[in-house]
Amino acid sequence: MSKKFLTLISVLLIFTMIITACGDTGTSAEKEKETIKIGWIGSLTGDQAVWGTCESNTVKMLIEEVNANGGILGKQVEGIYYDTKGDAAEAVNATKRLITQDGVVAIIGPNASGQAISISSVLEQYKVPDIATVATNPKVTVNDDGSVKAYNFRVCFIDPYQGAVAAGYAYDRLGLRNAAVLYDVASDYSQGFTEFFEKTFAEKGGKIVAKEGFKEGDVEFKPQLSKIKDANPDMILMPYYYKEVALSANQARELGIDAVLIGGDGWPSEQLMTMAADAIEGSYVVNHLDFNDPEVKPLQEKYTAKYNLPMELNGYMAHDAFLLLQAAIEDAKSDDPVKITESLAKVTVQGVTGTIKISPEDHNPVGKEAAIVKIESADYIFQEKYGLQ
Amino acid sequence: MSYFLQQVINGLSLGSVYALMSVGYSLVYSIMNFSNFAHGGVIMIGAYIGYFCLTLLNVPFFIAFIISALGAGLLAVTMEKIVYRPLRKRNAPFLYFIISAMGASIFLENIVIASPIGPTFRSYPAIFSTTPIMLGNIALGRIDLLMFIISALSLIGLMYIIEKTKIGLSIRATSYSIKGSTLMGVNVDKVIFIIFLLGGFLAGLAGMLFGMKYTVYPQIGNITTKSFIAAVFGGLGSLPGAVIGSILLGLIETMTSGYLSSQYRDLLAFALLISVLVFKPTGLMGKTTEDKA
Amino acid sequence: MSWGYVSGILILSGINLMTVLGLSLLTGFTGLFSFGHAGFMAIGAYTAATVTMKLNILPQSMFWLHFYIALAAGGLVSMIVSLIIGRLTLNLKGDYFCIATLGFGEAIRLILDNVQYFGGARGLPNIPTQGTTTLTNVIIINVIAITVLVLIIKSRHGRNMVAIREEELATQTIGIDVFKYKLTSLAISAFYAGVAGGLMAHYLGYIQPIMFKMVKSTELTIIVIFGGLGSVSGSVVGTILLTFLPELLRSFSNWRLVLYGAAVILIMITRPQGLMGGKEFSIKGIIRLIEKSRHKGEVKS
Repeated sequence: MSKKFLTLISVLLIFTMIITACGDTGTSAEKEKETIKIGWIGSLTGDQAVWGTCESNTVKMLIEEVNANGGILGKQVEGIYYDTKGDAAEAVNATKRLITQDGVVAIIGPNASGQAISISSVLEQYKVPDIATVATNPKVTVNDDGSVKAYNFRVCFIDPYQGAVAAGYAYDRLGLRNAAVLYDVASDYSQGFTEFFEKTFAEKGGKIVAKEGFKEGDVEFKPQLSKIKDANPDMILMPYYYKEVALSANQARELGIDAVLIGGDGWPSEQLMTMAADAIEGSYVVNHLDFNDPEVKPLQEKYTAKYNLPMELNGYMAHDAFLLLQAAIEDAKSDDPVKITESLAKVTVQGVTGTIKISPEDHNPVGKEAAIVKIESADYIFQEKYGLQ
Repeated sequence: MSYFLQQVINGLSLGSVYALMSVGYSLVYSIMNFSNFAHGGVIMIGAYIGYFCLTLLNVPFFIAFIISALGAGLLAVTMEKIVYRPLRKRNAPFLYFIISAMGASIFLENIVIASPIGPTFRSYPAIFSTTPIMLGNIALGRIDLLMFIISALSLIGLMYIIEKTKIGLSIRATSYSIKGSTLMGVNVDKVIFIIFLLGGFLAGLAGMLFGMKYTVYPQIGNITTKSFIAAVFGGLGSLPGAVIGSILLGLIETMTSGYLSSQYRDLLAFALLISVLVFKPTGLMGKTTEDKA
Repeated sequence: MSWGYVSGILILSGINLMTVLGLSLLTGFTGLFSFGHAGFMAIGAYTAATVTMKLNILPQSMFWLHFYIALAAGGLVSMIVSLIIGRLTLNLKGDYFCIATLGFGEAIRLILDNVQYFGGARGLPNIPTQGTTTLTNVIIINVIAITVLVLIIKSRHGRNMVAIREEELATQTIGIDVFKYKLTSLAISAFYAGVAGGLMAHYLGYIQPIMFKMVKSTELTIIVIFGGLGSVSGSVVGTILLTFLPELLRSFSNWRLVLYGAAVILIMITRPQGLMGGKEFSIKGIIRLIEKSRHKGEVKS
């Protein structure tokens, strides 16, 4: 047989695979009516994979537990987990697949704002709710004109809040007046955080003495830090994820900068301690929860025992998102997505990151106060709950 | 003044990271005339080998270096055999090599993520003190210094092999003309094997140094885009060119961040590189790619 | 598979196909290799989104026309930018041109990251998705795009481009303006990429500079080579297959991209001329193919 013919056949084979794949799922969806399906999307590959993997692991663990205790509304729960590669178009595909093919009643994730915003129109089209874990961009749950998106929810606080808390705490409680900012120009999270930090800090009367940027994937921050050192700040804001935090904090200390470092919810991780414990000693972090809270410990221990991995912050948020969803399904007494959506704004749950009650106006959790954590002897020491006055 | 000197040191240290990586590129390019995008993947594996040698096997630092260089060398050679040799035998155009290389780099990055190693960031155990050597007000990192020395030593070693040994002679001959050297009795397969082995060694060293200086994660390969740029800037196929290009890129990036704008650093750096290329289309020291009529 | 899901993938295939068609002309027919087409997509996406969101040129009932104008605007702006870039860099050869395009793509992204008018890195939300990038519109646009491309390729100009790919020096010697043809090819491919960017913006309803990373450019180039250099039907088949492949592999979770990488290598080493190998689909061709293989079989037996 000629090679071309072989290729033609293999192409045909692939198409048959596609078509048979159609047949399969059609029947299985009808068979499993007695289970409740919950979807999860997020990054299992790509540079956000660390966080995505932890989220999906947590949801898996919780679903196993729930099932062992008889499920929700007497039905077993099935989790379906799709990778988005950190890409918005992939997130849209995955959402469409979860809703229209797998028939999920609700979705947990994704862990990045860009993807959470992109899937809004799909959620609206099919009327299925989504609870974002750490998507902190304000636009995730509200439209440009301020109206709320009916099917987007989240369990975390938002960038403006986080930025303002960091600025308020630094100025009022720590008495810092000259701040430098190093931020990731290519990250929406970092840019949002920086913007609101600057605004609040300047309003209070503080001075931004240096503002330097880097690009995701960078590992060398000394050029920017040397410039910051020259400006002689009291503090440096580091609003990005812990890999870069570890590298930039180490490099800052190497250059002899002794300013206080302040960070946000991209910091908390056990990894950060192994990577840069000395450099970040005495730093302050705006976090969602107190890691040493006795109510949080069992979750950490269970997770570490099961996966032999340290639990990342995203795991706690995914945990609370799942609890909220479970409560909403129970409150709705139905696995109908629209009824679940209605209940999501009604229920109150006690999560590991605080009491979670979704505001009907903007679908953000109400009155969630940030936990200020100080790093002392390689541990996250809880200081106080700090809200904005 | 001390600010300027500090930035020069920052630039040199960044440049030596790029240099160690871009030499591997240039080495392969000088013979095969294509950019081996899988080089980043090999560097990443080298970094992991070094990491596991130090943490799981507890071997001495020096031995870990050798193991990771050997491991990466082995990987590079295997990849040549599986991915590039079939293409070479068919005389496929350079585009196919590039695509295969991209496929290989996607494969390597993601197999690490999917394997039990996972996407977690890992940091090397502290081998050197991180307190820098202070020259007045200027800080000089110990690892930077080590990196600079190892880069220089391995480059000198490489130059020695290429310029003074018999295999070096056949490498040079092959880089002028594959056909010609085949006629002169050079075993091209063997030369290419050696090239990938040497490239792999360097990748292993680069990976381990990178891991020590920064951290280990599956996306390390991405930083090699910068060393690719450096290699092109210096002139592809020229080893001194790759080194000079890397050091210059490091300095340019540092100086634009330090004196102009760190937010627009890459834009300014690229604009400068492109304007150099407009006037010197084959890079600073590249061999001419003019077609022979 | 449910229709909602499949139609989503088809729309995405259509969006990818637009850029791939342009790249096919650039890489497959003219022999230039670009790492920066995600940059052209970004320009198209931001331009088109601005036109639909900020300009109210037509009444609501004529929104479809407004949308098409927006796409065309996206394509045109990309094209103008490509002419400037091309003038500067098209004299560079091989990898040197590659680097120039790579630099361009990253530079565009960096500018968009910093310009707050477009939302900076935080992106531009609330782009209308209703009645814009629908499957019908995507198909219409792709049919036009393919027709135009085939006409170009079949024309004298198209043959000149192939000549440049095969023997640049010889082409120059017989008096063909190589630089002009390279520039035209780049401009057309940038236009296509710009339109694709516009479609993408209105499919997702949200754009962010990080969507247009270099990886996006390489993914698209992989599709062109996968489909076969110098074959339009190869580009079409390649795009659809490679857009569906990751979706089919979805249940493999994080092993998905491992398989994808392996598949790319495999197709390159087993079939280095790509899926279609410079051939085009036609009914005649398929009949000939079947006859030929039957003939071969007979000879063997």
